[in-house]
Amino acid sequence: MRPKPHTQMILFLALCGFTVVQLTPIIWAFMVSIKQPVDAFATPPLLIFEPTFQFHYEVWVERGFVSFLVNSLIIAIATVCISVPIGTMSAYALSRMRGGKANTILFGLLAMRMFPHILLAIPFFVLASFIGLIDTHLAMILALVAINQPFTIWLMRSFFLDVPIELDEAACIDGCNLWQTFTQVALPVVRPGLWVTSLFSLLLAYNEFLFALVLTGPNSKTLPVAIAEYGAEDINYWSLSAAAAIGIMLPIVVFMMLMQRHLARGLAMGAVKG
Amino acid sequence: MHAQRGLWLFLVPSGVMLALVLVYPLGYAIYLSFFNYYLGDQPRFVGFANYVSLLQDQRFWSSLRTTVILVSASVTLQFVLGLAVAFGLYKLTFGAKALNVLMFLPHVVTPVVAALFLRWIFMGRWGLIDSILIGFNIFPPDWLGTPGWARLVVVLAESWQFTPFMILVLYAGLNTVDQSQIESARMDGAGNWTLLTQVMLPAIKPLIIFVLAIRIMDAFRFFDTIYVLTAGGPGTATETVTIYTYAIAFRLLEVGRASALGVLTLLISAMAIGLVVLVLHRRDRGVV
Repeated sequence: MRPKPHTQMILFLALCGFTVVQLTPIIWAFMVSIKQPVDAFATPPLLIFEPTFQFHYEVWVERGFVSFLVNSLIIAIATVCISVPIGTMSAYALSRMRGGKANTILFGLLAMRMFPHILLAIPFFVLASFIGLIDTHLAMILALVAINQPFTIWLMRSFFLDVPIELDEAACIDGCNLWQTFTQVALPVVRPGLWVTSLFSLLLAYNEFLFALVLTGPNSKTLPVAIAEYGAEDINYWSLSAAAAIGIMLPIVVFMMLMQRHLARGLAMGAVKG
Repeated sequence: MHAQRGLWLFLVPSGVMLALVLVYPLGYAIYLSFFNYYLGDQPRFVGFANYVSLLQDQRFWSSLRTTVILVSASVTLQFVLGLAVAFGLYKLTFGAKALNVLMFLPHVVTPVVAALFLRWIFMGRWGLIDSILIGFNIFPPDWLGTPGWARLVVVLAESWQFTPFMILVLYAGLNTVDQSQIESARMDGAGNWTLLTQVMLPAIKPLIIFVLAIRIMDAFRFFDTIYVLTAGGPGTATETVTIYTYAIAFRLLEVGRASALGVLTLLISAMAIGLVVLVLHRRDRGVV
């Protein structure tokens, strides 16, 4: 049965409509960010106006959002550099173990992913105050590495499962030990998977809010905490907050373009937000 | 296989990390939940007193009710809308990939930023909706300042971010359904609705259970969106258990009591997921 062309057209238009609704808040915020206050507060909203990028410049350069970006990047990159290697090792072991033991561990990891974050935020805060880690990058990095482990391991394991075990066995016969098999046989095959996992972990760390709210301070404040404070400010700062919000979103758009093909797998393994 | 020996060593680094940074703090929180402990004061052991007082606390029950309302409304909306759009994309013969990517964007936006985007839509007077309506001389209600509307806005904000997730997963699922099954249903004269409900949905049932369980468990602890959009207000209209826990821990600094509330949340969300899995499985058996 061939689909009729006009029903296809209606379906296409309906889905376009949905997409436009989905994109409206982003477009609106972008327009506010390039409007002069006089245009931003016009009723009804202006569609044609003289754009200005002065607020983008002001919020990132003069109001110090660049330093929050640096904090965000330090934390996110360090998290990935620790989380992905150790998670990959575990994932490899779990994909090669036989019997029920691996399943028990995997189930345990899933249960850990279920912990309400607020329940962890409380002891993190108390313990970090005891050992003087409040308002350091290290506290956030440790917290995020641990939070991301279950996701990292599940996702990497799914890539190792695609590598036939015969490949390992062949390497064994050639006299490779376990470590050599891992680094020289299995890892090169899953290199694309490593990229996908790293980028997802990076995004998770970049987007994290609750732990950042609790654990960071003036020296280590990340972008989500900074923008939450700014957005709550007086409406006079609207154009500035909108400019910051759009700027925070830009790297994520790049991420989307890089990851298109892999989104389904990454999300099925643990969703972008925790 | 002698190569299997030593494999457990690969688990050590993650294991140590998880034990120190996840399991130990969790245990510590459970331990704290038995103490009367204001941050900065000496902790005092009180047994189950925190739990007892929470169970008698009106605000706890109302936050739990709010959580259940918001979670069930938003997960239902996301699932129904997500399924409709996913099926639409499945039927569409052109452009489905590009549309899928575009409509997906809200899901990867930083949650705090997403909440701000939505706030600028619903904000009184200057927000997109209000400024359009006022342009037509219609004076709208205060979306974020009226309990009922504020709840609706929170549900819409959650759905704005998470419907794309449903679409993506369900769309991927629908594409895995066996073509021969679909063909034979078509031969029997099944329309789109029958095809979807009688053939395709049963075929991806495990995926549906999985995605609903994930969504419910994440929605149960959602924090970022509400914190930025309404901060639990007006009054306590949108105060979920997580927001209430945050207020106890980090505004009142009653760490022991907040830990007890966190432990209760863990138990409740585990039960909610158990229930969903059980109900969906039971229905499964009923059909077969």
